[in-house]
Amino acid sequence: MTDKTPAAGGPVADLSTAPLPTEDTLRKRRSIPLQLARFAAYNARIMRMVIKGH
Amino acid sequence: MADVVILGAGISGHTAALHLRRKLGRGSEHTVTVVSPNSKWNWIPSNIWVGVGKMGKPDVVFPLEPVYRKKGIGFRQAKAVALWPEGDADDPRGAVDVEYTGQGRAGTTERIRYDYLVNATGPKLRFEATPGLGPDGHSLSVCTADHATEAARSLTETIERLRAGEEQTLVVGMGHGTCTCEGAAFEYVFNVDHELREAGVRDRARLVYLTNEERLGDFGVDGMTFEEQGFQTSSEMWTASLFRERGVEAILGAHVTKVEEGVVHYETLDGEFHALAFDFAMLLPPFGGVGLAAYDAEGGDITDRLFAPSGFMKVDADYTAKPYEEWRAQDWPETYQTPGYDNIFAVGIAFAPPHQISRPRTSANGTPIAPAPPRTGMPSGVMGKTAAMTIYDRIKHGAHAEAHRASMAHMGAACVASAGADLRTGSAAAMTMMPVVPDYARYPTGRDLAATRGEIGLSGHWVKLMLHHLFLHKAKARLGWQFIPE
Repeated sequence: MTDKTPAAGGPVADLSTAPLPTEDTLRKRRSIPLQLARFAAYNARIMRMVIKGH
Repeated sequence: MADVVILGAGISGHTAALHLRRKLGRGSEHTVTVVSPNSKWNWIPSNIWVGVGKMGKPDVVFPLEPVYRKKGIGFRQAKAVALWPEGDADDPRGAVDVEYTGQGRAGTTERIRYDYLVNATGPKLRFEATPGLGPDGHSLSVCTADHATEAARSLTETIERLRAGEEQTLVVGMGHGTCTCEGAAFEYVFNVDHELREAGVRDRARLVYLTNEERLGDFGVDGMTFEEQGFQTSSEMWTASLFRERGVEAILGAHVTKVEEGVVHYETLDGEFHALAFDFAMLLPPFGGVGLAAYDAEGGDITDRLFAPSGFMKVDADYTAKPYEEWRAQDWPETYQTPGYDNIFAVGIAFAPPHQISRPRTSANGTPIAPAPPRTGMPSGVMGKTAAMTIYDRIKHGAHAEAHRASMAHMGAACVASAGADLRTGSAAAMTMMPVVPDYARYPTGRDLAATRGEIGLSGHWVKLMLHHLFLHKAKARLGWQFIPE
């Protein structure tokens, strides 16, 4: 890295208290069967928005 | 016979043209003409994937002229420069002056008469608002397919340096305190994170999200409240979790003052000034109107009557200046009709919002640092269709036919921030919100909790991929295009 200004670069937000996902949550985010269900749910929600709000 | 002219061939203008031609019928006497300085249509949400090299420019653009020829829509590759809403000395019909940018007539001008006009000119990318910002300066952009291609090339070089053992700082975010499209920068930073991990060099890279948002998860819509497992949570917590999990640093409430070779200078809400060295920086520009002028029939300048100082066109919004606490959902436009002219409409990014959606903030030095309101693909498409339906009714049933309505305080929007482009390993942070503009009179949290959600996972990536193919299919006016909702 070229040496131009201090690497700290100013005020970085403190995210140390933000919740971290558990291993189980990370596994669910990659699970094909579960994500197929989430895919259907997301599309249903978009269609609901289209019907109600457009 | 009526002549309809549509300025701009982005999501809202192209949608308006296709629906209007469909409703009027291809063989009808009425004409629909699109004026756009670009010869190609660009599915801008997928520029993010171009910007990390997962897609090429040909995957996100296609030529407009063949589509318009097939559909019986006139096309002028030109940019609009001036409006004559009351006509001129020769003709009382409204007119628009255009300057050609292609079709073998580059540089020549024409005055096109209209009975109805839709201004869907989109934004001017105001890189000049910040010295040194943009591809002609010292940072990158993903606003156009060409910009994104350049960003991908630079990212590849950065990854090569990381592979060679160098440490690198990558900065992604907003290049000015009044930028919009935080969702796009959010998506890009996580795509970059994904690329760095795939290349096995994430540990040597410092990845920083530099934003004008006062808190994470604002997205220019004042944040969102989600309901999850019996609790109400904020988009701030949800977003912060993702940043912490991926090790992306966040600098909040920042107004970039200038970009020099390898250094971004910025001011924060507390009034302090900072500098951050970078090896790779993708910083979005603020938007403005394209700078159309307007004249009355005698040639008097009436630009101020039709356009806000930002260059965006005034419509049926309540532009009364009032404090944040008095902002109401009803301030937002419904018909997109320009005051005083029932045959002119401004849709998509071209209309002037009545105010921001996020709480306005200034730094201790008085510098405005707050996101401008986003107008994403879904609302832009709906506005374009709404204007088209109003024009169709007025052509068929007379000029006093009731205008169709579609307020951003009623309609929803989907924002899918993908990370990676693989069907099995991709991921995404997918959000839906309804309405886009919070309405605290209808909902305690401002939005419908059943429709406002955020989730992270592989399915969001599938949604993004599906939307990419669906909207390209629709924009190409292929079989059944009209059944794909905006």
